[in-house]
Amino acid sequence: MAAVLPLLPERHRAAPRPALLWTVGIAAVASCVVTAGLASVNEELYQPALRVLLVWWVTLPYTFAGLVAWRRRPDSFFGPLMILASFVHQLSILQWTNQPLLNTIGQLCDLLIVALWLHVFLAYPSGRLAGRAERVVVIAAYVVALGLQVVVLMLGGFNDQHLLTVAARPTAAEVVQNVELLLLGALALAGVILLWRRWRSMPLWQRRLPTQIVIHCFNLSLIMLAVLLVAGTFQLSGFEIIRLATFAVVGLAPLAFLAGLLDARLAKAGVGELLVQLRTDPAPDLRALLAHALRDPTLSLIYWLPQYGSWADQDGNPATLPDPNGDRRVTIVQQNGEQVAALVYDISLRDEPELLDAVSAAAGIALENGRLEAELRAQLQELHGSRTRVVEAQQTERRRLERNLHDGAQQRLVALALELGLLAEQANSDPATQIRLKHARSEVAQSLDELRDIARGLHPAVVSGHGLAVALESLAAAAPLEVKLGTDGLPRLPEPLEVAAYYVVSESLTNAAKHAQASRVSVDMAVTDETLIVEIVDDGIGGADSERGTGLRGLADRVEALDGRLRIWSAAGAGTRVRAEIPCG
Amino acid sequence: MRVAIAEDSVLLREGVAQLLTGAGIEVTARCGTADELLVRVADDPPDAVIVDIRLPPTHTDEGLRAALTIREEHPEVGVLVLSQYVEVGLAMRLLADSAEGVGYLLKDRVSEVKEFITALRRVADGGSALDPTIVSTMLKRHRSSDPLDSLTPREREVLELMATGASNAGIADSMVITQRAAEKYVSTIFTKLGIPATGSESRRVLTVLLFLRS
Repeated sequence: MAAVLPLLPERHRAAPRPALLWTVGIAAVASCVVTAGLASVNEELYQPALRVLLVWWVTLPYTFAGLVAWRRRPDSFFGPLMILASFVHQLSILQWTNQPLLNTIGQLCDLLIVALWLHVFLAYPSGRLAGRAERVVVIAAYVVALGLQVVVLMLGGFNDQHLLTVAARPTAAEVVQNVELLLLGALALAGVILLWRRWRSMPLWQRRLPTQIVIHCFNLSLIMLAVLLVAGTFQLSGFEIIRLATFAVVGLAPLAFLAGLLDARLAKAGVGELLVQLRTDPAPDLRALLAHALRDPTLSLIYWLPQYGSWADQDGNPATLPDPNGDRRVTIVQQNGEQVAALVYDISLRDEPELLDAVSAAAGIALENGRLEAELRAQLQELHGSRTRVVEAQQTERRRLERNLHDGAQQRLVALALELGLLAEQANSDPATQIRLKHARSEVAQSLDELRDIARGLHPAVVSGHGLAVALESLAAAAPLEVKLGTDGLPRLPEPLEVAAYYVVSESLTNAAKHAQASRVSVDMAVTDETLIVEIVDDGIGGADSERGTGLRGLADRVEALDGRLRIWSAAGAGTRVRAEIPCG
Repeated sequence: MRVAIAEDSVLLREGVAQLLTGAGIEVTARCGTADELLVRVADDPPDAVIVDIRLPPTHTDEGLRAALTIREEHPEVGVLVLSQYVEVGLAMRLLADSAEGVGYLLKDRVSEVKEFITALRRVADGGSALDPTIVSTMLKRHRSSDPLDSLTPREREVLELMATGASNAGIADSMVITQRAAEKYVSTIFTKLGIPATGSESRRVLTVLLFLRS
């Protein structure tokens, strides 16, 4: 069974104990009963039964949704925040009593609930306020809802049953209260803008219907609250109806949120589908399947290669874990206590930990297979890399030797030959001396010839110096058979490529003349689609085999070290075609 | 005659200078790089330059490029390119437009003092000097139904000499025959190969090369 371990900075909080949840739930129900009691003894309350129903309608869904969210997402503050909002709402009902202390508490909480709702809506879904603007708006709402309310109460606002009245200034109290209501209304509208902005900035794949409903529900609630606050300020006639509509909408918001949680449940059903696909497809595209199951198309999958002590992608290329402070998150998947793979996903998936757990657990065995495959690919790459290095090192060394010969021994021998030549001009006509001089000069000339052949065999300096076209012209001129060159318009290419292509042609011409008994050869070179294509076709007897002759095998090594490939068609009696394709982009 | 030298090996540069001075040729410049040569030639154009094909800084084709530049900017200056290897492909590039006043020899040839001076003079006078290995390499190729097969060994010898840029007098000298006999050989060869006989001795170098390459 695969174990799943999320990486820093996420720390798992333990789920709240059931007893705690039950206590909170029962307390919420009990406070609803108290509300009904308070309403029944308050004779000034307009439409008491409707008011009680409204309070229940707003309180109970928040409590219930809050409890569900708390239990299922212990890491998120969203659940506790919703529960807090419902209890503060209950506390505000205490203003219905005449008991001075309780009444004071009720009055203090009266508008605090608006600030809390704003907080809840803007903190969706993580429970944290994501941006600076969100934090400013929420803090401002708390300051206004609590601070100005205290000022109103100190000025003797609302009624004379609370404890805070310092000096009764009814007109001043009304002005401050109106300012408070209008400010809160404005902050609610600011909240709408922030929510809208958040919605617009979500990638399309995140704008799923449940999220959409929740956000629109929150927006509508905030707009209604703003309208209600304005209506309260100017004491509009339809105030009671507006209050009814507002509370009805605000109570809908947690239901929309619950629907969103249900959607996450549905997503988990996709895990079953994943299991079926993993069982039926022997070589699945694991990343695509996981991305589908997690509903995050940006998901990437990387594997831990213990042999290399590093992470790698599916093709064995080195990979790194993302910055923990960025907008990507990581979950490490373990198998038998060892890390196997890491899922790298969008930060929004952080809010669906159960889904992540379920998906990574389901993919356990397949991930282990994927890891082995990635490891194999990494080994192949390493092998390829080391072959490339060997070929490169060999070429560099040969080049160096050729250069040393050219600048050293060859120059000195030419100088010596020149010296001997001058000496022969000046020397007396003593025949014995002349003969010995002649002999010495021919020895030097022969040494020069031999050295020239060695240097040439080490490295085709003409290729690096003057390009393939010139070098091929010389090859063709020296070849003991008819060569048709098709190299028009060939650009200069990186030296390793030119040298490899040169050797392909040189070796093929030698084979054509020596083994294939060919009389005509065509050599064509062109660059198409950032690939150098070299093709040599002869009219010889065919039957060449790249595995038998070391010459052709060596050529294939050279070409493959440059990520190219060499192919040979050589049916008996049908000539030989050698084709090398070397990427040069 | 006045000659400038570009060769990065001091040993060789001084050796060649000594050779030239000994032959009564004035050495106007002894340069270690191609750029230096270009400046000195522009300042004081000699009759000919001797230039090593591999010069600093990259030791690839600086010398060749300098040679092509001089041919373009100072057509009156003969250019004799020296190299440790001779490449048919490079000969073709060097002679692309004309073989007049151009030479391309293996470095070793400096040790054949007399022949080297003759070649140099030819180049300075607007003639050509092509290393014999180039022609012999091209002649070695076997081709089916080759008109070259119809040449006698003596004619072949004349063809090779002709391709190195030798004049009729030079051919006669090398083969120890009269100049008239040499001229007769040349016209026979052109007839046998089916190529039009051209007047200038340097132009026929190119004609022969192009024929051999085709």
